[in-house]
Amino acid sequence: MKENMKKIEETMRLSIFEVFEKMFYIFLEPLNDESDEYDMDAAIRFKGSMSGEIRILLSMDIVKTMIQNMLGLKEDKITTQRMEDCSKEAVNVICGNFLGKLNSSKVFNLLPTVFGEGSDEKSRDSGLSENICRMDFDSDGGRVGIVATLSDQIGRVVDCSATNRPLAP
Amino acid sequence: MSFNVLIVDDSSSMRAVIKKIVSISGFKMDQCTEAGNGKEALDTLAGNWVDVIISDINMPEMNGFELLGILKKDNLLKDIPVIFITTESSEKRMQDAFNLGANGFIKKPFTPEEVKRTLYEVIGVSDEGEYEEDRGDNEAFDF
Repeated sequence: MKENMKKIEETMRLSIFEVFEKMFYIFLEPLNDESDEYDMDAAIRFKGSMSGEIRILLSMDIVKTMIQNMLGLKEDKITTQRMEDCSKEAVNVICGNFLGKLNSSKVFNLLPTVFGEGSDEKSRDSGLSENICRMDFDSDGGRVGIVATLSDQIGRVVDCSATNRPLAP
Repeated sequence: MSFNVLIVDDSSSMRAVIKKIVSISGFKMDQCTEAGNGKEALDTLAGNWVDVIISDINMPEMNGFELLGILKKDNLLKDIPVIFITTESSEKRMQDAFNLGANGFIKKPFTPEEVKRTLYEVIGVSDEGEYEEDRGDNEAFDF
């Protein structure tokens, strides 16, 4: 189980780097300590051969940078709706990318993303186990955190399709 | 030669992103119309000619697969190429899309180069905007 979680963490880290670099032109640096300097979050749940939830934590600064880089908008044109859309899109793309990297032969059902709501309690209520990985990143544009809560069936999903990939950046 | 593009996505921000990416990719886009779901896309197609459709899959009211199914049954619209841009990257989902008649599939996150290449591939023209089947003829007149 520990080995699987390590692979999952490495795959998740790769997905976060890829999405932020390709979609938002932001280069992230991993932080060793957990940060609580976040202003908003968005969460997505997925079901399939493995179930779980991925939640992205974002500082106001990084959301503005993401929107500016993605849409070319000036800061005074950034609305609350744009920030919500951007946060939800980011966690949606990270989730799809992560699950595809983990095992592209499995089909997962992605549920609608939820903005700005804490989701730890929901995860416990739904019977998800303690397979939680947390990562924090820093960048010139602000801070990002990821909390992934995964079900017990991770061993069935983490197969050679994930291990054949170069996991470490 | 430039082309009319219809972008279908329930997120207005994502539509803006796709439009911007297509614009900066170097793809020769003429008019760009937008729709928030499959139903709105069909309404748009009733009054506008488009050369290619870029669509999300998961949308309220009518999803991308349902839209594609209706297009394929319509004699006027069945030949418009459809590209799905989506976060879903399972091989089965991609195969489902191609079995339904999708012409291209772009996984998020994507680069402008990927978008441009896929757009020209599905339309059947070279990067310079010439139809692939015409290229040989053109060479014949190139003295």
